[in-house]
Amino acid sequence: MTEIFDLALLESVMRALTPVLLAALGGLLCEKAGVFNIGLEGFMLVGCFAAVAGSWFGGDAWIGVITAVIAGMLMAAILSFASVTLGADAIIVGIALNLLAVGLTSFLVRTVLGAQGTFQDPALDGLPIFLSQSPLTYLSWALVPIFVVFLRRTVWGFRLQGVGESPSAARSLGVNTKRYQHAAVLASGALCGLAGAQLALGNVVLFSENMTAGRGWVAVVVVMLGQAAPIGTLVAALLFAVTEAVGFRLQGLGLPSQFTTAAPYVITLAALVLVSVRRRTLTVRRARGTNSPAPSGGGATPPVPTDPATRATVSQGENHVS
Amino acid sequence: MTRPLNGGVTAGRPQSAAPGATTVEMRGISKWYSNGVMANDHVDLVLNPGEIHALVGENGAGKSTLMSILCGLEEPTDGEIRLDGQTVSFSSPVSASEAGIGMVHQEFKLFPSLTVAENVAFRAEPTRLGMFLSRREARERVRELADRYRLGVDPNAKVGQLSVGMLQRVEILKALHRDAQVLILDEPTAVLTPQEVDDLFAVLRELRDAGRTIVVVTHKLREVMAFSDRITVLRDGRSIATLTTSETNPAEVAHHMTGRDVDLDGRYNAGSPAGVALRVDGLFVQNELGVMVVSDANFSVRHGEIVGIAGVAGSGQTELIESIAGLGGHSSGVVELDGTDIHQLSAAERRRKGIAYIPEDRRGVGSAVTASVSDNLAMGFHRRAPLRKGWRLDRAAMKRHSADIIEAFGIRVSHAKVEAGTLSGGNLQKVIVGREMSHDSAVLLVDQPTRGVDIGAIENIHGRLRAYRDRGHAIVLTSAELSELFALADRILVMYGGRVVAEYPRADATEAKIGLAMAGITQQTLTGSEETT
Amino acid sequence: MRAWWPSLRPMLIALGIALAIGAALMLISGSNPLQAYGQIIVGSLGPNGWAATLSLAIPVIGCALAVSLPLRAGLINLGGEGQLVGGGITAVVVGTYFADLPFPLSLILAIGAAALVGAVIGFVPAIMENKLGVPLLISSLLLSYPIVAVTSFLVRFVLLDKGTGLPQTETLPAAFQMPQFGKVTGALFVLIVIIAVVIVIDRMLPAGFEIRMTGLNRKFSGYSGVAVSRMTLWVMAAGGMIAGVTGALVVTAFPFRFVDGALITPAYVWTGLLAAMLARANPVGAVVAAVFFSALQVGGAAMERETFVPRELSSILQAVIIIVLAGAIALNARKKQKVA
Repeated sequence: MTEIFDLALLESVMRALTPVLLAALGGLLCEKAGVFNIGLEGFMLVGCFAAVAGSWFGGDAWIGVITAVIAGMLMAAILSFASVTLGADAIIVGIALNLLAVGLTSFLVRTVLGAQGTFQDPALDGLPIFLSQSPLTYLSWALVPIFVVFLRRTVWGFRLQGVGESPSAARSLGVNTKRYQHAAVLASGALCGLAGAQLALGNVVLFSENMTAGRGWVAVVVVMLGQAAPIGTLVAALLFAVTEAVGFRLQGLGLPSQFTTAAPYVITLAALVLVSVRRRTLTVRRARGTNSPAPSGGGATPPVPTDPATRATVSQGENHVS
Repeated sequence: MTRPLNGGVTAGRPQSAAPGATTVEMRGISKWYSNGVMANDHVDLVLNPGEIHALVGENGAGKSTLMSILCGLEEPTDGEIRLDGQTVSFSSPVSASEAGIGMVHQEFKLFPSLTVAENVAFRAEPTRLGMFLSRREARERVRELADRYRLGVDPNAKVGQLSVGMLQRVEILKALHRDAQVLILDEPTAVLTPQEVDDLFAVLRELRDAGRTIVVVTHKLREVMAFSDRITVLRDGRSIATLTTSETNPAEVAHHMTGRDVDLDGRYNAGSPAGVALRVDGLFVQNELGVMVVSDANFSVRHGEIVGIAGVAGSGQTELIESIAGLGGHSSGVVELDGTDIHQLSAAERRRKGIAYIPEDRRGVGSAVTASVSDNLAMGFHRRAPLRKGWRLDRAAMKRHSADIIEAFGIRVSHAKVEAGTLSGGNLQKVIVGREMSHDSAVLLVDQPTRGVDIGAIENIHGRLRAYRDRGHAIVLTSAELSELFALADRILVMYGGRVVAEYPRADATEAKIGLAMAGITQQTLTGSEETT
Repeated sequence: MRAWWPSLRPMLIALGIALAIGAALMLISGSNPLQAYGQIIVGSLGPNGWAATLSLAIPVIGCALAVSLPLRAGLINLGGEGQLVGGGITAVVVGTYFADLPFPLSLILAIGAAALVGAVIGFVPAIMENKLGVPLLISSLLLSYPIVAVTSFLVRFVLLDKGTGLPQTETLPAAFQMPQFGKVTGALFVLIVIIAVVIVIDRMLPAGFEIRMTGLNRKFSGYSGVAVSRMTLWVMAAGGMIAGVTGALVVTAFPFRFVDGALITPAYVWTGLLAAMLARANPVGAVVAAVFFSALQVGGAAMERETFVPRELSSILQAVIIIVLAGAIALNARKKQKVA
């Protein structure tokens, strides 16, 4: 056991955590604003490329970070224009954006960086490391309490949640709901850009095709598991990170890599199943507890399910393509 | 245009009224829609400070349009609005709200997961340091307002767990928090029990006595006479009369509303029922959340009979009907169709055995708005002859089928391939009514058949329901309009809190009896069920 | 013709905008767009290209249909990779362990088993959504990871052809190799049968009508008596089945073995998904769109050889077409609403 758990493992957990957590925080904002953003994967991948390209041409990792944030926001702007301004199906646009990101980054890595598949160079500036972690890791930790305060205490966070819960109610009070949704999607683009920068300049210092490898999708699930709350999202992201880090370690001990790389996705799916089942029974029990005898008077309105997992099912179920 | 106005209003206030009060004049208001409908035709309306003003008229008379114009939702094609003599124009509900006009819509616009105080304060939040929400201040403000006008609302309660009556008060609080001098309530009593109606009007009187102007949009004469100070009657988009309540009587108001001395109930003609078609015995229904929404329902419907179900919204009528159709939540009990138990059967099997269903939600449930009219009419017929020919669908038969229904039910549509969503409410309802009646099923379930439908279509649909009954079909009908039940039903059941609490033959039914039963108070609950057979 | 136009117009607009964006990308990276686009057309449809286009189109059409059937009912099946790979490895396992089976039976059994496994993999997310409330979109996607991993493990450790040093299984016995009829592979006939069945279901069967109505309004369909959750199971299983058969068609074609990653790297699944979306789930349209996207991919490779513009340009064009199309459709719907 001691071979598996030690300080180095903790450090690799933190490294695995940062990109997923940053992307998931972006997804959380979109969820709160009522936009189902499944483009996180693509935003992050473009962020990876832009970070490497920025650092390479700018000669400084921080220029890479800034480029990544801008690139992530540009991708997000496409989603936000199509789905919020035009009212297009966010799921379809999100899927297409993920595929666009794969094609675009592979295209650019060849035309701009002149490499095929993977770009790596000793002269490529990576992020500085303090106490074995990159500054973006510390930033991601700081963002969790900031998100708590933002959502719970500030006027904008308060209104953002209203926009997501009932856009028509928010609109009737004069809130420009689209502006909030645009802001949330753009912020998610910036956060995914940071996630990409961490992945490509922090965890490793290189770009390779499709290097996000589904982490953006995991971030989507992490938001569902965390019920779109910052702390819950952190815990869910940690679950993924621990599995990934332990998997790497076990791989070092001779377990076939096929199983260790797939493990985080299996665990994430299993957690989603468990949470869905649990939430289902809880909702039923809660409803029975408060309303069991026939409602008196006008009858109590049953609580509206607001958790993202349920909502995602709904949005997915109602999604029709024509 | 409107922003500087707020200050202007405060400055140039008439002396006679209480401080903060506003006189509203709407002059020559007209509203045409692009489809040629004229909703308002030179309407005049004057609201004095400190009065409860009833705006009455039948469905489609133009009340909602007029109020939408006043609260900034729609802009008038012609005419002007004056506040204390100054001409204003509202580009949005927000600008109307800033000028002191607040609206309580029929459909509440609230955030279920937030508290009362949070809902009230939304977008008018008290803040600290310019960016942090002060929940305490919001709570105190709401508590103070609630106490002053005796609203009895707990600022900390989660809105998702409040009753409909309480939700309405939250909406009123929202307007008061924004300092509304003119408060418009659109059909506020439709969802309330009579007791809640009394409580609401007590609140409205408090507000009036504090110098605010209250406008109540309604078509319920009895309530109008009981609470209003003045009445403006609209008919066919025109203002017909403005009356002082104490100097008029219900007959006069009704005459102005309808333009003739008929009462809707008069159109009722008795059916000649024979033989039980549908029998429901000990039916319990739980919704998806596990809440019991129908408890121990027992009744039967005969061939050639319309049974109406009355009740305040959310008393279980829709769930009962859905359950008979084989939809909705988990249920137990007996549902018999012509003597055979169909309770175990799926919705599809029940339809095959002879149950048709016209749902309340036309666009969400009763049709696929992005599909063609023809496809909408074919649905449900597609698995049997003549639409199904052997193993496949017969396109030619589908075409004939839709042409037949379009013809028979007078659906106004240029072509059967037109998307159903482009039809007007009444026309779309005819598509659904036509489809369901064409099944020629023994039992037809009808949920709110004329909500949001213009008068012409209402008469058409009523006539068809009666004729359908007279051909020997059994009809179960729910309606939020007692007048509709009186115009159609041969027997009226009343539901309250998921139970059928009373049952009256048409001859014994009065609005008073049914109104009490809708609040859960019945003779029968006290003396046993002598009238229930 | 007149009925086609309104649904075709946004697609042409989308294509035009995508080509313009592609041209801009090429101009920025210093290439000649006209020359590149010319090479795409020549390379995909010219005398040397059409055969390659056709052979790529076979799996892409399969994957497009695997998505389009559920999509017709409003469900997005993102599990294509797992279903495709699962079907492929199943066919190889059958070929390895029942190596003695005689010719037609061998392929029938291999394809049948692949169909079954694909169907099960499609079925699982559907039943998880129905019974547990797990969103199908997500679970179908996440399920692919372990399936691809287990397959990779089987190929590298259990079924490995030790002679080659590459991560691939041994060559299938001759009876399991899809026969050629002149220049045409037998896989094409299997595919034509699948296309025909899907089109018949969609256009002629009452069930196809129900699937379409469910896609347009789930509640309406349920209200009309359709058992919507049972339909979810069926269309997802059918989609998985088609993907599974497609996987079998790939491994029973040259080089007649399962090469690790060979079903994933060419992005059959994602190209097929985009094709189904472009056709808005119409099966005939999905076939056409799949051929179009295959031609774009093959032409992209030719363009790369001739002009040094990377072939990934094709993937970019595909994705941009879908994004613009989604926007154009939304814009159209809003215009319609305003008129009504």
